[in-house]
Amino acid sequence: MSVAKVTKDNNKSEPVAYSDAALRNNAVVVEYCRTSMAALSGSTAGVLGLTGLYGFAFYVFAVVSLWVMFMVKTGPNWNKYYVSRQSLLTNGFFGALFTYVLFWTFIYGMVHVY
Amino acid sequence: MGSSVHKLIVTVGFLSLFHSAFSAAQHRSYLRITAQEFTTLPLDIVVQAVVSLFAVMWGVLNVAGNLREIPAAAELNTVKWETQRNLPSFYIFNHRGKALADNYIPSGSKCELENVE
Repeated sequence: MSVAKVTKDNNKSEPVAYSDAALRNNAVVVEYCRTSMAALSGSTAGVLGLTGLYGFAFYVFAVVSLWVMFMVKTGPNWNKYYVSRQSLLTNGFFGALFTYVLFWTFIYGMVHVY
Repeated sequence: MGSSVHKLIVTVGFLSLFHSAFSAAQHRSYLRITAQEFTTLPLDIVVQAVVSLFAVMWGVLNVAGNLREIPAAAELNTVKWETQRNLPSFYIFNHRGKALADNYIPSGSKCELENVE
């Protein structure tokens, strides 16, 4: 196990050492969930036949609900698992949006057009 | 054991999502046949799709793997003192203190060597 990242806590001004392997493991898990969420919510939006801005609103709704699920999973001491909650919510927002739009248009075409 | 339950949730959720997709497609073809205008899907299809989306998301979240604690001390704290103290290079197998025991028999070879001198 290696200690790679040392950051300063704002209020304590005491450096906190993070385990590099654990950080990378958590990033892989979060990325996996985010990609699955984008594909699944895109499929659901296609099934529901959302068009235009409603579809993008549904994407924001799905992102926020995934974030809430992460918070529910870790419980009150989320600080042990993530460096920050905000970056967990916003990281890879547009990257997953492309996956979402791909599945949205595909399933919309399969269900509602043909 | 918990993981298999979540895999079951993922599977059932996927099937439910597919079912709602087929229901939506059938509703569209029904509207097309009866020459009605499409406004929204029936409420039961919408509810089924959204609920199964949440179920699959929750299942995937737990199937994806466990999150590990990121502070470096979290894993170091679990290491026991005995583990740190264990140094194979300093193992002692033949201590001279055993000569103090009652049933100690000196090995012959060393004594013979001393007698010869």
